[in-house]
Amino acid sequence: MEAAKVFDMNCQEFWNTMPELGRHGDHSGHLRECIACAALWERQRSLTAGLRTAASEWSYLQAPARVEARLTAAFRSHAGLAHGREIARPWHVWGPVAAWAAAAAALVLLAMFLMSGGQPQLPRRSAPGTIELAAAQAVPDFGVSGDSPYGDDDFIPLPNAAGIAPNEDVNLVRVEVPRSAMIELGFAVSAERASEPVEAEVVLGADGLARAVRFLDE
Amino acid sequence: MKKIMTLGTETDDELLMRMRSGDEPAFVTLYRRRQAAIYRFALHMSGSVTAAEDITQEVFLALIRDECGFDPERGTLSGYLFGIARKLVLRYLERGRSDVALDVEGESSAWPELAVNDDPLLDLTHREGIEALRRAVSALPRRYREVVVLCDLEEVDYAAAASILGCPIGTVRSRLHRARALLLEKLHQERNFRPAMGAWKPLRCLT
Repeated sequence: MEAAKVFDMNCQEFWNTMPELGRHGDHSGHLRECIACAALWERQRSLTAGLRTAASEWSYLQAPARVEARLTAAFRSHAGLAHGREIARPWHVWGPVAAWAAAAAALVLLAMFLMSGGQPQLPRRSAPGTIELAAAQAVPDFGVSGDSPYGDDDFIPLPNAAGIAPNEDVNLVRVEVPRSAMIELGFAVSAERASEPVEAEVVLGADGLARAVRFLDE
Repeated sequence: MKKIMTLGTETDDELLMRMRSGDEPAFVTLYRRRQAAIYRFALHMSGSVTAAEDITQEVFLALIRDECGFDPERGTLSGYLFGIARKLVLRYLERGRSDVALDVEGESSAWPELAVNDDPLLDLTHREGIEALRRAVSALPRRYREVVVLCDLEEVDYAAAASILGCPIGTVRSRLHRARALLLEKLHQERNFRPAMGAWKPLRCLT
């Protein structure tokens, strides 16, 4: 009875301090004395070896390339917002910049769009939640209604940007821009409100280039 | 090319510092280094390719936004990313999307086509074994599934797993012990009932 009690305690202690299977270490003391634990230990070792084999078979599984493209676009937007002051440009360069940016990578266009305010912006880091990125399918009202190729009449095509092809996998990036950025797209903005921030959503094509924008709080 | 190779030898913390100062190659290197493990964790836990993709994206978006305030003093970046992924997985599971029978055939496209062996019978046995393991892991209760995925599939050590799961290391050990026992039991049952397994569809356990 006493021996059995000690034996149980040893088993419990062994499993409570269970060494990491497949890693080196001297834990053979208890296993030499306890046939039941030794058998279970061997079964678990075999199972772990099988799991490691399965893991190596699955090792090439990774996120699709489009995730990296979306995240890189989001990173550029975020970095652009965070360093707005260093590359702020006066309004009169907006036209050429926009034409160039339509052919440039991902959110470079957006970054220039953001930085082209009439007055220099104070350097600021975007607050949490300033940028949101989602696959278009995740946006309920996007791409399902209206005659606009962007699926929503509020979206304004950016100058020189290509159209959205049918079934193209588009993404949506939410950013904060100076209200003055709206002027170039035909909105009336008073001088005193030009430097106020306004939320906007930018449509990115499958190539990561900005195609259209809509302002959420006009 | 040289720059990428240099970045590839930097620690996660060094890359993170550069990333926070707006260095895009640092972010891309960090992403490429860590995304696969996060994606696989999310895939194993959710059973959904779509959810795994969304969760991976959200994890790195959180890193870009610096929302959760990673502190190198409190753990590794890898553990931090797994921690965010786990929270997102739990949120996904709680929304009840997987509160239905998991259609193994429908989801099979999520899993790799294994390399074809010269011996078809051996190859079939190998594939069946891997697939049986996958089904068994998928059918584990959530708290056991996550320790198996972290410790046995992704080879995260017990201490790091404890940090990710927010529990004592002893709990990791006991859950892992129990999880392996459950897996052995499931595999044993499957072996015994394989002939009658034509339309076998395990239920996803949400506990």
